[in-house]
Amino acid sequence: MPTLVSLARQFLTDEAARVLDDAVAVARRRSHAQTTSLHAVSALLALPSSILRDACARSRNSACSSRLQFGALELCVGVSLDRLPSSKTADEPPISNSLMAAIKRSQANQRRHSDNFQLQQIHCNQQAASVLKVELKHFILSIMDDPIVSRVFGEAGFRSCDIKLAVIHPPVTHASNFSRTRCPPVFLCNLTGSELGRPDSSFPSSGREDGEENCRRIAEALVKGKNLLLLGACASDALNRFIECVNTDGGGILPTEIAGLSLISVEKEIIEFLSEGGNNREKMDFKVEELRHKLEQCSGPGIVLSFGELKALVDEKLSSGALSYLVSKLTGLLEGFKDKLRLMGATAVYETYSKFLGEFPAIEKDWDLHILPITSSKSPIDCFGSKSSLMGSFVPFGGFFSTPSDLKYPLCNVAQSITQCHLCTAKYEQEVTAMLKGSTVSIADQYSENLPSWLQMAQLDTGKGLDVAKTKNDGTTLNARILGLQRKWSDFCQRIHRAQPFSKFDVSQGRAQALVLEGFQYVADRKESSSGSCSRDSLLNESQCANLSLGVHMDLQNDFPKRNSIPITVDSETENVNCQSKLIKEASKSQQKEKDSPWFTPLTLPNMSLPADHTSSSSVTSVTTDLGLGTIFASCSRRPNTPKLGDHREHYQHFLGFNSSKFGISESNSHQVIQPSSCSNPSSGEHFDSRDYKSIKKALNEKVGWQEDAICAISQAISRCKAGYGRHRGSTVRGDIWLTFVGHDKVGKKKIASMLAEIIFGSHENLISVDLSFQGGVNPSDSVFECQELNDYDVKFRGKTVVDYIAMELSKKPQSVLLLENVDKADFLAQNSLFQAVTTGKFPDSHGREISTNNMIFVTTSTIGMGNTNFQPLKEPVKLSEEDILGAKNWQMQILIEHAAEGASGSNGRNVKISRKVTSTTSVNKRKLEGTTNFTEQELNYKAKKLPHKVLGSSLDLNLPVEETEDNTNSGCCDSDSISENSETWLEDFFDQVDEKVLFKPFDFDALGEKIVMEISIQFQKAFGSEFLLEIDDEVMVQMIAASWLSARSRAVEDWIERVLGRGFTEARQKYHSNVKYVVKLVTCRGLFVEDQAAGICLPSRINL
Amino acid sequence: MGTTLLEALNVRVVGSGEKFLVLAHGFGTDQSTWQRILPFFTQNYSVILYDLVCAGSVNPDYFDFRRYTTLDAYVDDLLNILDALRVDRCAYVGHSVSAMIGLLASIRRPELFSKLILIGASPRFLNDKDYHGGFERPDIENVFAAMEANYEAWVNGFAPLAVGADVPAAVREFSRTLFNMRPDITLFVSRTVFNSDLRGILGLVKVPCCIIQTAKDVSVPASVAEYLKTHLGGRSTVEILRTEGHLPHLSAPALLAQVIRRALSR
Repeated sequence: MPTLVSLARQFLTDEAARVLDDAVAVARRRSHAQTTSLHAVSALLALPSSILRDACARSRNSACSSRLQFGALELCVGVSLDRLPSSKTADEPPISNSLMAAIKRSQANQRRHSDNFQLQQIHCNQQAASVLKVELKHFILSIMDDPIVSRVFGEAGFRSCDIKLAVIHPPVTHASNFSRTRCPPVFLCNLTGSELGRPDSSFPSSGREDGEENCRRIAEALVKGKNLLLLGACASDALNRFIECVNTDGGGILPTEIAGLSLISVEKEIIEFLSEGGNNREKMDFKVEELRHKLEQCSGPGIVLSFGELKALVDEKLSSGALSYLVSKLTGLLEGFKDKLRLMGATAVYETYSKFLGEFPAIEKDWDLHILPITSSKSPIDCFGSKSSLMGSFVPFGGFFSTPSDLKYPLCNVAQSITQCHLCTAKYEQEVTAMLKGSTVSIADQYSENLPSWLQMAQLDTGKGLDVAKTKNDGTTLNARILGLQRKWSDFCQRIHRAQPFSKFDVSQGRAQALVLEGFQYVADRKESSSGSCSRDSLLNESQCANLSLGVHMDLQNDFPKRNSIPITVDSETENVNCQSKLIKEASKSQQKEKDSPWFTPLTLPNMSLPADHTSSSSVTSVTTDLGLGTIFASCSRRPNTPKLGDHREHYQHFLGFNSSKFGISESNSHQVIQPSSCSNPSSGEHFDSRDYKSIKKALNEKVGWQEDAICAISQAISRCKAGYGRHRGSTVRGDIWLTFVGHDKVGKKKIASMLAEIIFGSHENLISVDLSFQGGVNPSDSVFECQELNDYDVKFRGKTVVDYIAMELSKKPQSVLLLENVDKADFLAQNSLFQAVTTGKFPDSHGREISTNNMIFVTTSTIGMGNTNFQPLKEPVKLSEEDILGAKNWQMQILIEHAAEGASGSNGRNVKISRKVTSTTSVNKRKLEGTTNFTEQELNYKAKKLPHKVLGSSLDLNLPVEETEDNTNSGCCDSDSISENSETWLEDFFDQVDEKVLFKPFDFDALGEKIVMEISIQFQKAFGSEFLLEIDDEVMVQMIAASWLSARSRAVEDWIERVLGRGFTEARQKYHSNVKYVVKLVTCRGLFVEDQAAGICLPSRINL
Repeated sequence: MGTTLLEALNVRVVGSGEKFLVLAHGFGTDQSTWQRILPFFTQNYSVILYDLVCAGSVNPDYFDFRRYTTLDAYVDDLLNILDALRVDRCAYVGHSVSAMIGLLASIRRPELFSKLILIGASPRFLNDKDYHGGFERPDIENVFAAMEANYEAWVNGFAPLAVGADVPAAVREFSRTLFNMRPDITLFVSRTVFNSDLRGILGLVKVPCCIIQTAKDVSVPASVAEYLKTHLGGRSTVEILRTEGHLPHLSAPALLAQVIRRALSR
């Protein structure tokens, strides 16, 4: 498919585009269907002072006058154009594929070498304006690659390689100063060889044949005069091959130092001798004598004696006498001819050798075997047949393998010797060019060796260029994509540049390429088939670029939000709870879609439903009144057990991180039931907007009623910050708010964060939640919490660091609450980024890009406080710890009916008890509780149960997840002392920076448990009456508590008990219609996960019977 | 000339720690593959990064088809780099082929390496009598044939397979570096790799090793990690990563970084 002219134009600078336009005009004039490279050439030549003309003039070397030769060229071009079929006149003949490919090639090429050119320009003090010319220059260069074009030039007596050279080197007067540096084709073997004096560099014929590497290494080791043991799975192959090489080749592969070395294998004799059980000592002696004789005779480098496979010497069945006889003989030989004799053997595995050593410990010293690892069975070159398509498509292979490479060496050696001095290099370059001009076909051969790299470069470049085209073809948001591409490529350039920071290197590379370009020309001339391979390559590139362009696309998407994170300050009024959250949600969505619109419109809409009576209360006193009113209701209705307040107050006092004024407020809140007067106590120095405060607090209290104190502090902090009394950055107020929730109640923290997102940013979808401890992959997959947590490591962080994930989310949702759980577990990167964000308001990702955190609310949580242990201990030991609950598994439940033990009847009208491990009926240490339904006793049981748990630790299922977490923290600690220390100090610093530290008190699971048991008891009695006993498995209990804790609705668990459990009881009752006394048990189906979940809660939707 | 080698292989030393840590990339990637891992270590280590000579980021001219026929040539490069940088002791993290290179290097110069961390390492990719390397010779020949026939198609098929986990970014990254390699070099190197057999020499490795293996790796079956552990001469441990794929440093960098850090501190 030809490409539209307008599309092609976009790839070109004005100058080059003008040429293209001319070319199109030529094609139109001639009524050609497509615009080809020839048209472009024609257009270029038509310009009186074109770069191509100029280059032609400079590269001209024929005897006839330049005017004549130009005439010939124009004629040739004209004739070639005439040959093209004409068709009906198109308005703009589209760009042919070959020309388009040339454009793409040139583009990629230019990108690749842009730094070269800049360098050159800096070097020769040219004007920056010539940067534009570069584009045209590359364009021309690529056009010259086109075989048709080069043929035409050839017909006119030009060599397109000369022209290319001339194009590359602008006609600057002192060009020789800079442009003639040539890349010395240094090979690493040369480098290391000359640097370290490695002997292998002196092997003239190393690698001349296939599979030589092993032989080379063996020879190398022999040069050092060592006795060798080849070790490796293919060691014996290598040994045999080496022997074969040495004996057939006449030692051709041996380095000069040991040339003439003879190699004798006694493997056969040894095997023979040993298999006969060592009876035929005379024969062996004879052989040894023969060897001795040879050794005495021999001069020069000596003899290598191969004893073959070592395994033969350690065979179990061998008589040790024969073996030791043999070994002593060999040892004797070695001692006799230390300078002349070397031993060599092979073994597949190291174990054989150690076994051998075990039998003959003296060997280690006597034989002094040097182990040479042999790791490769055969050379990869072996595998290249002549039929290999790679040989065909990559011309260089011909150079590498079939033609002798002598030609290259003089070149590169000379080049190497003169890299130091620019002038010398320049002179050398001139000589080379001169030589090239008078070159014959042999030089073309030499070029063909250079070719691979260039061909490859071009290939890659074309791919990259094509990718540009691809993205363009996609149409719509062209400009944006180009921007993205530019970004990508500037990155790429930087990388390249960094990777090769030495200017000399770069320049010379460019130069080398130029030379290679010429080479290609020759090959193109000589081999018509190469165009075939070209098209294959371009095919290859096309699909390759599809891939790349995909990458660009993705990059773009990532970049986009970031660029568009225009600080949109949310009016504090929109934060009202009552305002239509949906509107904001929509607004933010539309904002995501229309990135270009600088402002998002619906902002002004949602502030209509402010509570009228509170609108203008800004004075401090009225604030506190409101405060009091609010909390009275909240605390009365929500708090499950008020008497505990005192304890928590003590906690507060332990918690030193709080400053006194804030403390005053939270205290007044929690105690206002008892002493309401404290409410009038205004917290001096605290300013905040009462409306914010009240609404936030009310909304939070609805969801997380049990954390009033924390809620109070949170709402206070937020309204304070919103009112502009937050931290300052310079003179401007920071828009971001940082909160840290310390203490227990993971779910409560999360719910509050989610609510904040809903209240302040309109939707709980604006909550970004990241658990920083998740990187270890701690979370057991079957947990109750898993079914709600989207925080799955695999899904979210795959392929990213946490920091990048956060950065990505931040840029996606510039207005949101970012919940970072377990901030104390943050890895080093996250620590850095977070600290920078809290201090500067910009969150850097791992690439150093910064994302503004303005208007974000950061909520970091941590179970540990400010490193003080006072915080941890509770006055009263808790029966159900948070860890227990967090370890709850999401298992299916089941009702079992068992015959009752005697005396197991309900007393007190309560007939529910909780027992551990009902499922394991035969277990001796089963702690079955006798008919105790009294609640206080039940609590005691809990306690009793917990104690052995703590002591025994490992054997109990319930503790599994807890242990896991413990393990993990341990391993985290032992990571590295410095790291954990660092993170501690970091945590302190970080906590010092945040706007507010909020202490969360532990969730009262016991009270919840009581409530649940009460509800169940009611349901059970409904179904079974009061004379039956219900045993609830501990795990079920934990599961229910966990689910209730997690559930969004307040009465979710009650509803579940009524609907699901109640139905289960009824069904069970119907099924077991018996008068015999029995015990009903509610247990988990261990290992069977909940398949069908009840609505609104993480519990099964039905109970198995 | 030492600097030339360092230049040619794009050797970089990043970070400020006293101890040296070498991050050596594997087949089909280049040093950029470590970029997500790198920041975790720059604080405590001077991290040495380099490109294998076969990497796409190295001038293909440097790839001498006569020299790099076995892994020993690569080992030479590594040791030369370390010598040029005057490193007398370092920890070494090697992925795939670099893991093999590290093993060989540690045999030659045991004093140079304090610890080897081998990611996705395999002493031998081909199956044998009582060894399961994951590949049969005919399979490999098919793969090579596919590479020759259509490199691009092969890359597009191979990259997601190698990455394993569903991480488009990692697949993209791996494809990019794989494409950067010249196809003939890729083929040549993979032949070298598949022809290599380190099983016999594992006993010579005395340096403590940590073998990091993902739960599922198309190139390296899980049994190989165990094989390595039992046959390596030094103290060695196996860490199974809870992720998939042959390139955990691309697909699960944070996870891997933690494991590496733990392994280094041990």
